[in-house]
Amino acid sequence: MSARMGHENVVIASLAQIGRCGLFLLRILSAIPRSMRHASETVRQLWFVGGMSLTIIMTCGLFVGMVLGLQLYHVLAIFGGTSATGSVVALSVYRELGPVVTALLFAGRAGTSITAEIGLMRATDQIAAMEMMAVDPIAYVAVPRFLAGLIAMPLLCCVFCGMSIFGGHLVAVDWLGVDNGTFWSNMTATVNVWDDVVNGLIWKSLVFGGVISLIAVFQGYTTSPTSEGVAYATTRTVVASAIAILALDFVLTAFLM
Amino acid sequence: MIDTVQAQPDDRALVRIRGLTTVLNGKVVFDKLDLDIPRGKVTAIMGPSGTGKTTLLKHITGQMRGDAGQVLVDGRNVAELRRDALFELRERIGYLFQNSALLTDFDVFENVAFPLRQHTRLPEVLIRNIVLTKLQAVGLRGAASLMPSELSGGMARRVALARAIVFDPMLILYDEPFVGLDPIALNQVLKLIRTLNQTLGITSVLVAHELEAIKQVADVVYLIANGKVVAQGDPKTIAGNGSPWTRQFFGGEADGPVPFQYPADDYAAALGFQQGAA
Repeated sequence: MSARMGHENVVIASLAQIGRCGLFLLRILSAIPRSMRHASETVRQLWFVGGMSLTIIMTCGLFVGMVLGLQLYHVLAIFGGTSATGSVVALSVYRELGPVVTALLFAGRAGTSITAEIGLMRATDQIAAMEMMAVDPIAYVAVPRFLAGLIAMPLLCCVFCGMSIFGGHLVAVDWLGVDNGTFWSNMTATVNVWDDVVNGLIWKSLVFGGVISLIAVFQGYTTSPTSEGVAYATTRTVVASAIAILALDFVLTAFLM
Repeated sequence: MIDTVQAQPDDRALVRIRGLTTVLNGKVVFDKLDLDIPRGKVTAIMGPSGTGKTTLLKHITGQMRGDAGQVLVDGRNVAELRRDALFELRERIGYLFQNSALLTDFDVFENVAFPLRQHTRLPEVLIRNIVLTKLQAVGLRGAASLMPSELSGGMARRVALARAIVFDPMLILYDEPFVGLDPIALNQVLKLIRTLNQTLGITSVLVAHELEAIKQVADVVYLIANGKVVAQGDPKTIAGNGSPWTRQFFGGEADGPVPFQYPADDYAAALGFQQGAA
């Protein structure tokens, strides 16, 4: 009986948290016009969350592509279809691995830094100081980081996919001997720009970018102003983002297919 | 019907608090508190730790709303102001935070320039001159390019003070301004508070514990305890007014109306001693 009540409380608390996050999104959206005067802050945040994530995204993209190329070559070799290596690598990356892995890396690299930064700003009264200086912290702090995440994710996803295909090419063509022309021609023949690139890559990464940025900013903004509170908020950002990314990936795939 | 009080030209109180009642986590912080902050004067708010001095400043700035009563700043009820009106009011209020609250991404110069950049479109040369003037006033013009992490606690407090006065506000609220200052900096800050008050007619509210410093700078002192004003008056004479509150607070005595010990179980029992044991 008490265990059931405990589960109900967890469900109610989770729903309440999602509701608060939704209301926070409304505050962010309504503050976007006011934040236009802080455009330089958005550009600065774009560099912090996007530019500074490039190294990890490029490195991981390269290795994911190399692993894919290696695995697929050996599986396709069983059926004598190694010429399809390029197209299968590209389809896997564009439709699923690109947006999902980029989003998970982005949540770990940029999401946590956003949460920790805003959380520390709250703990050290910087948010309160802004309010006292008649500067709206939602417009100055939350919106630029949210927009930066929203813009950076699709761009990072494109970089990730490019590096993955380069990695796949490196293994399949330069190492395992798949014909270069076959690798590219099969890929261009099977990849559909609208279905695979726009629907798979751009839409998914936009949604993931928005969700991760919202979770990161919300967790930072509502954290308890203590070192323990900031640590918990940072952890919650990664956990909530990972669950949201994988759950939304299924929903989006079902809708977009 | 909501009572509103309009500012009167002859209203000598810039901040008027009437019947303020605040309950936080079940504890009564203010119990129908009445208090006036006179225009153009330096008012000190004193009281034991945890008595709600910082909370009072938060009420004045609209960061926190009371459960009952009114806080009128320049004749406007802060609790009834909409966001834009509240921000407009805050542009005329300087606030020195207890922990300085400098923006860690910016250097000293940009911290002081921040309010100017956000609310004005002044030419860069004018912003530079204003900021350097304020930094000179707090003795830190040479530290303009330092980051907040490179400052000592006292220096950070002085930078925060320069930021608080960058707009020459009508009201400045100082939350523990003297903590961490060496005697030289303390003396300069005292002079600065006095100068701002005398030359620009700025109303100042100080929350502090240092009676000697308060004696040098304040015109009026309020002693708050148990959610009410328990003593008020001239800083040079308030300590000797004979009330048990002032005797205990200014005499630093453990025994008196303000308990030094937080309510707890029996001490001997907590240490494991039985009453009457050898």
